[in-house]
Amino acid sequence: MSSSIANETVGSASVREGRTLWEMLTNTYVLYFVSLAGFFLLWDRVAYLHVFGDSLARPHVVAQKLYMLSQVKFAGTNLAGHIWVSTQRVLIGFGLASVIAVPLGLFMSLNQYANAIVKPIFDLFKPMPPIAWVSISILWFGIGEFSKVFIIAIGTFVPCLLNAYNGIRLIEPELYDVVRVLGGSRKDEIIQVSFPASFPAIFAGLQISLSVAWTCLLAAELMNARDGMGFLIKRGMDTHDPALVLGGMVLIAAMAWLSSLLISLLERKACPWKRSIENL
Amino acid sequence: MGYEEVRVDRPLLLRLLPFISVGTFLLLWEWSVRSGMVPEVLLAPPSQVFSLFFEKLSEPNPDGAVLAVHAWTSLQEAFLGYGLSLLVGIPLGLAMGWFRIVEGIARPIFELIRPIPPIAWIPLTVFWFGIGLTGKVFIIWIAGIVPCVINAYVGVRMTQPTLIQMARTYGATDWQIFCQLCVPSALPMIFGALQIALAYCWTNLVGAELLAADTGLGYLITMGGRLGRPDIVVLGMVCVGLSGAILGFIIDIIEKRLLAGIRR
Repeated sequence: MSSSIANETVGSASVREGRTLWEMLTNTYVLYFVSLAGFFLLWDRVAYLHVFGDSLARPHVVAQKLYMLSQVKFAGTNLAGHIWVSTQRVLIGFGLASVIAVPLGLFMSLNQYANAIVKPIFDLFKPMPPIAWVSISILWFGIGEFSKVFIIAIGTFVPCLLNAYNGIRLIEPELYDVVRVLGGSRKDEIIQVSFPASFPAIFAGLQISLSVAWTCLLAAELMNARDGMGFLIKRGMDTHDPALVLGGMVLIAAMAWLSSLLISLLERKACPWKRSIENL
Repeated sequence: MGYEEVRVDRPLLLRLLPFISVGTFLLLWEWSVRSGMVPEVLLAPPSQVFSLFFEKLSEPNPDGAVLAVHAWTSLQEAFLGYGLSLLVGIPLGLAMGWFRIVEGIARPIFELIRPIPPIAWIPLTVFWFGIGLTGKVFIIWIAGIVPCVINAYVGVRMTQPTLIQMARTYGATDWQIFCQLCVPSALPMIFGALQIALAYCWTNLVGAELLAADTGLGYLITMGGRLGRPDIVVLGMVCVGLSGAILGFIIDIIEKRLLAGIRR
């Protein structure tokens, strides 16, 4: 019966019938469980049967590796240390970029002269993938901390600015009309309408730049680093240790997921009026 | 149309400012290197990059290939990966949006893989496929598939429930509603995905080539960095940016043609 969203949309009106076996089997949570179990089993079998030679570690080996790393020091620090170093880089780069980019984007959309000056230069830099900056940042800043922060800042700058800019430009004009009808000045328009109405777009930009930030961090750390999660992956690659590579991937995915969760929580606090489309 | 186009003359200054700002930027860049404020080992002036561009068209040294070969390698990888990700991602996303069972099976795995930055796959792909074309196509595929799935999924999900109910009232089957209602109404979202996926693919192409490659634009950048030749690095960056912008522009035109009737 209910095999599509069409039935879900009218579901509230229909009378619930007794549960059949098929319905129980296709319950969403049952399906989730089946899919995850299938995924891990498949992974385990593929690794066990050496489909990729010895280049894939079984899931429990990866878990063991991570546990071991959290106990002993590896390249000078333990697992928490590596995670913290990487997180710090992302926080600094991301913080710097968003603090500059968001106000600049807002200002550009409010002042057409600023827009005419900054936009063309920004458009020159926009299509360049942030990872392309890795080489030049090493040339400029060496292999120290700053070159990594620089790449992250460059990568996160673009989506932050773009979303803040578009956030204001795409506000419905009716909202401004309301303020004008009520006798508001230009200042009222900006404070009462522009800023709050651009919040959702700004947060969407932060969300995108956060995922870009993790990608950039990884690129920077893969190229040169002595600590951090990217270093773990790189070390796993150099010593042909798939468990270490997979462990690093799991860690970075977990951190990326956690940070994006944090932003969505913030967003819900900052703009509770935002209509929630059931999003991925 | 019943509308008459209103033409607002923008002030002369406003029309000139973009050119002035870009000109000033390039001049400042050129001057800062020429005058020695920025050492030449760190940055190449735009004029040098420009002349290197013509030189690299026929000169394979010092990185082993002429510019066209690099660009062709990168384009090949990008298009293969991009095409595959569209081919798999969009139908998967559409199906996930409409069929509960597909969503239940595919979504948890998708959510597991999604937060992993595509570059993190590089070591595994090098283990599995070597540093050839396959590995890079795999990374680009992984990068491109995420926005395709998400946008197709959201596109189907945002179909107006009223329309679905109406179709149902007229006796349409699930499959008919999916094909004739949900897929068309998801089209604008899907075209949005084309642009996003292209940007992702392009970014990760560079990432893949930075680490494991012997030709390609990303490789050109890495080699420039290793050789300490900022002009090569900047040339590579400009080429990557330019070709990405051109591709995005082409997709934009196709989108406008195909979706001429749909207002967004």
